[in-house]
Amino acid sequence: MAKWGMVIDLDTCTGCQACTTACTMENSRLPGESWQDVLFYHEGTYPNVKLMWFPRPCMHCENPSCVTVCPTKATYKDPEGGFVLMDYNRCIGCKYCQIACPYGVRFSMDERAFVKPDIRQVFPSGDGRQWNPPYQAPQDDPGRGIGIQPHGVVSKCTFCYHKVSQAPAGVADLDEDVPELKEYVPACVRVCPPKARFFGDLDQPQSTVNRLIADKRGVRLKDETGNKPQVYYLSGGATAAVPSLRSMAAATVPTGPFSPPQRAPDTGAIAAHSADWTADQA
Amino acid sequence: MESIDTRLSRRRFLQATGTASALGAAGLGTGLGTGLLTTLRPASAQANDPAGADPPQTRITKNICHQCPARCGIDVYTTDGRVHAIYGSTEHPISNGKLCPKGPLGTYILYDPDRFKGPMKRTNPNKGRDVDPGFVPISWDEALDTVAARLNRLRRAGESHRFALVYGRGWGASCAGLQGAFGQLYGSPNVAIGHSSMCSDGSIIAKKALDGVGGYNAYDYANANMLLMFGVGFLEAFRPYNNNMQVWGYIRGVKVPKTRITAVDIHLNTTLAGADRALLIKPGTDGALALAIAHVILTEGLWERSFVGDFRDGENRFRAGERVSPALFEEKWVRGLVDWWNLELKDRTPAWAAEITDLYERDILATAREFGSTRPSIALFERGAHAHSNGVLNGMAIHALNALVGSLYAEGGLMGQMGPSYGPLPVAADDFKDDYARNGPWQDQPRIDLKGDPDGYLLANNMLQELGPNSLAGRPYKLDTVMFYQANPIWTAPNGQVWEQAMQELFIIDTSPFPGETAMFADLVLPDHTYLERLQDAPTYPFQGWPLTQLRVPAIEPLYDTKYYGDVLIEIGKRIDGPMGDYYKVLDNTENLLRHLAKGFETDPGDNGVNDFESWKEKGVWYKRPYIYRQVNGEFRKWDGQGYNLVLTDEEVKEQLFKTASGCFELRSGWLAEHADWIVEKTGRDRRKLMFPHWEEPVHPGGGDLYMVTPKVAMHAEGRGANIPVAIATLQPVLGGRSTAYIEVNPATARARGIADGARVRLVSDVGSIEGYCKYFEGCRPDTIVFPMEHGHWAHGRWARGRLPGHCGEITVNQSDRITGQCSYYTTKVRLEPA
Repeated sequence: MAKWGMVIDLDTCTGCQACTTACTMENSRLPGESWQDVLFYHEGTYPNVKLMWFPRPCMHCENPSCVTVCPTKATYKDPEGGFVLMDYNRCIGCKYCQIACPYGVRFSMDERAFVKPDIRQVFPSGDGRQWNPPYQAPQDDPGRGIGIQPHGVVSKCTFCYHKVSQAPAGVADLDEDVPELKEYVPACVRVCPPKARFFGDLDQPQSTVNRLIADKRGVRLKDETGNKPQVYYLSGGATAAVPSLRSMAAATVPTGPFSPPQRAPDTGAIAAHSADWTADQA
Repeated sequence: MESIDTRLSRRRFLQATGTASALGAAGLGTGLGTGLLTTLRPASAQANDPAGADPPQTRITKNICHQCPARCGIDVYTTDGRVHAIYGSTEHPISNGKLCPKGPLGTYILYDPDRFKGPMKRTNPNKGRDVDPGFVPISWDEALDTVAARLNRLRRAGESHRFALVYGRGWGASCAGLQGAFGQLYGSPNVAIGHSSMCSDGSIIAKKALDGVGGYNAYDYANANMLLMFGVGFLEAFRPYNNNMQVWGYIRGVKVPKTRITAVDIHLNTTLAGADRALLIKPGTDGALALAIAHVILTEGLWERSFVGDFRDGENRFRAGERVSPALFEEKWVRGLVDWWNLELKDRTPAWAAEITDLYERDILATAREFGSTRPSIALFERGAHAHSNGVLNGMAIHALNALVGSLYAEGGLMGQMGPSYGPLPVAADDFKDDYARNGPWQDQPRIDLKGDPDGYLLANNMLQELGPNSLAGRPYKLDTVMFYQANPIWTAPNGQVWEQAMQELFIIDTSPFPGETAMFADLVLPDHTYLERLQDAPTYPFQGWPLTQLRVPAIEPLYDTKYYGDVLIEIGKRIDGPMGDYYKVLDNTENLLRHLAKGFETDPGDNGVNDFESWKEKGVWYKRPYIYRQVNGEFRKWDGQGYNLVLTDEEVKEQLFKTASGCFELRSGWLAEHADWIVEKTGRDRRKLMFPHWEEPVHPGGGDLYMVTPKVAMHAEGRGANIPVAIATLQPVLGGRSTAYIEVNPATARARGIADGARVRLVSDVGSIEGYCKYFEGCRPDTIVFPMEHGHWAHGRWARGRLPGHCGEITVNQSDRITGQCSYYTTKVRLEPA
């Protein structure tokens, strides 16, 4: 069985947000319900100012905190491909998962509309879902959090399960530049103009994603949590790099959010901003 | 059918304690599912269960994105009659399967709930910003007959020049391409007036002054080793944005050696953040920087000798402040180099430019050395550099750098754009001209915008920003009827308040599918299809030089009673008295026209096999590589089918590549020299210098103390971004705006005025004031405020209405570059105060 993973090259990401809008339209998300957000930061004083950005999908963790805390098992790890999915029928909207997720990538949209007037009033749903836009995509699988959600539930990135799960068995990489494979590629990866995103099977040693992680020093965000994301970031091919716990034996890595915190090597400014990201979704 | 229990809530869960059967019993099918009736089965079981219903039928049609001029080929996904997805076409040379952030939003544009549903006429004769037009639906026949009756009446009265047709984004032969013949047959100098002076004529005409071509350039970025960008917003807005980012990924992530990039702008944006060197320059001074770079290239001997030429004895005599005898230098493909040095460049040292530009001398020197010593390199510029009173001079100074490093027509350089092999039209306009068309009184009338007129803008291509004010003033006359296609100058023109007055006294016809400020003043609305419903051609904008043209194929039947603008024009034409009507009866409709264009492909099939109308529709694009010209080490060559083996004569270069009097790249512009008297009279420029790139202080009107720059950003969806909720939610990521677009202010600047971060502020100039929310941003120059040109619409739809900040056009003074006619959007100075 595949263990799907994504690699995002921060050296070539242009911060354009094509991933954000492609995801929003492919998955019929509300304005501001950016499953695939890009977060911007700046620091310094004029004229020496540094502007940075960070694309942030759900990490589809090997050991997801959201799954651990869910009281109804509404969110779960799919053993077939390593997706972290939502069952809208089981979700009670308690938002424990939102709090537990170290990456701020779970969304509950009931309280307010990001953009007013509320588009849900413009395209109302007749069957109790949050809305029903005329451009809604045909895929609908509430047991996996695919399609428009009802009120009172949490939503999240599916790694475009409806596409990826249809891929030919055994394929190592889902590369949008291969015409036969493009329909199986997650929307955010498929549109990415500078090709800063790669999607493939982390369990196949020969996959491009594994090669990139090795050659360009892929790191996982907030490795110290022990969540073991299946999304890796590349930031430079130089020798100096942000160290990652990937190189450490599994036994030394904390296995859950309630494990004793283990001080990780300093992961720099990226980790320091994590509190902001969570707040941003509040 | 998949089911969902929408009644489940936390409260209900606590009551029911959640068993599988209780939770999943609702069975509210949606009709959309591909799965099966299920409740809470294990997820793995669902995946393996065969679907009971027929799989939905998904159809993919070819189209071209409409949200910027780039013309990305797109695949439009329609399932069971509903358009639900857009992806880049894999086999399209611009999009290559990718999209920018606007591309996926096209489905929203199709189903925009604010769209016009059919033709309408105004019933309220009063016009104003908040006046209800009282639109009532009418039939297409009534709409077209009304327009034709009006035009026939004007023509009979000998006043056909009082009809103007204004267009913004023309796409191809089947829309804007029809307008020229319409104007000639009908008889109006004002059919049609393009928006290029409100776009980027500043770059086109600055280049025309030097290389004689007068077009946007195609760029071979992928083979360049250095890019020097002046105010282009390469990673935000510069066309073709999607392809720019593809190139960026290649030249910055894959290519060896990695292409070096220096970006010049007035605030920190993603382009500057991603570049090797960011230069935060004082607005309007880009020309000074370029002159200093040229100075260093000469003094340090970095120029490309195979293109520029050299001192006859090989000894470099370009020393700061020292004159050089022109006789000592033998020029090759440039003209006027030594004169330029003696008159201007010898004193344009990095130290001098540092004073003007507010940059560090060391950075100017480093940039110059890198640009001059890295081959191939490209200097590119757009509105940031040239939308000022000195724009033509800034643009010439920048473009001259391309000559100094020999990148014109070179691999990794910049070039022109070839057109497609279209077949001829089924009918020739000349055969249908009556005496009025040939000799009517309209022939003696100037254009309303005074383009090409000594009293106006003698050397400009268009002056749309003058149409409203000129008609209002009756100078040179008052218009009677104005029809708009893809243009909304009442909002996009600087100081559009004047247009609001002008349009009160005009009969206005709008053709947009969407509500907008023009429509609010319209007497007739003849709504176009949206792009996913159109059959429409679009040759590429300058891209990589080789010809490319594409086709929009309707994904679905039009949702409403709309009509393609090209067909509206033809239908009006059929109703005009005399032979003009016959011309349009033969032309018949736009599909007929497109079929004739496609006949050209039969004898010149595209690289992808497109050889007729049907294959064009199927593949969506015809193109033919390679670009046929290449300059190699100062020799101009042409493609012979195998390689660049044909060497062009000097005469051929003059005819085909450098269309100047000398047939060379004229650092001393012969074209400007020809018009020296007029230029001296209108600009007061030094008669000796006016034909050379040189430094002139820009004129900043507005009466304020802060420069105001209002760039278009990535989500500017060709005028519709302000009413697309997803675009609103992602408009200005750098400042963290979600539903709010902020005015960027340097913290020191804000604090000096007692303005807190996030506070509501007012911007005031001599022509108006607007409000918005301020955000502290250290990446903004302290003397400049920045916000996206996007919001402040008052008639664009429910999401756009009243959204802050107000529209920058309401505080932008209508000032243009006298040579290029370029509207100086980024040159007004404003006052910032707490609201």
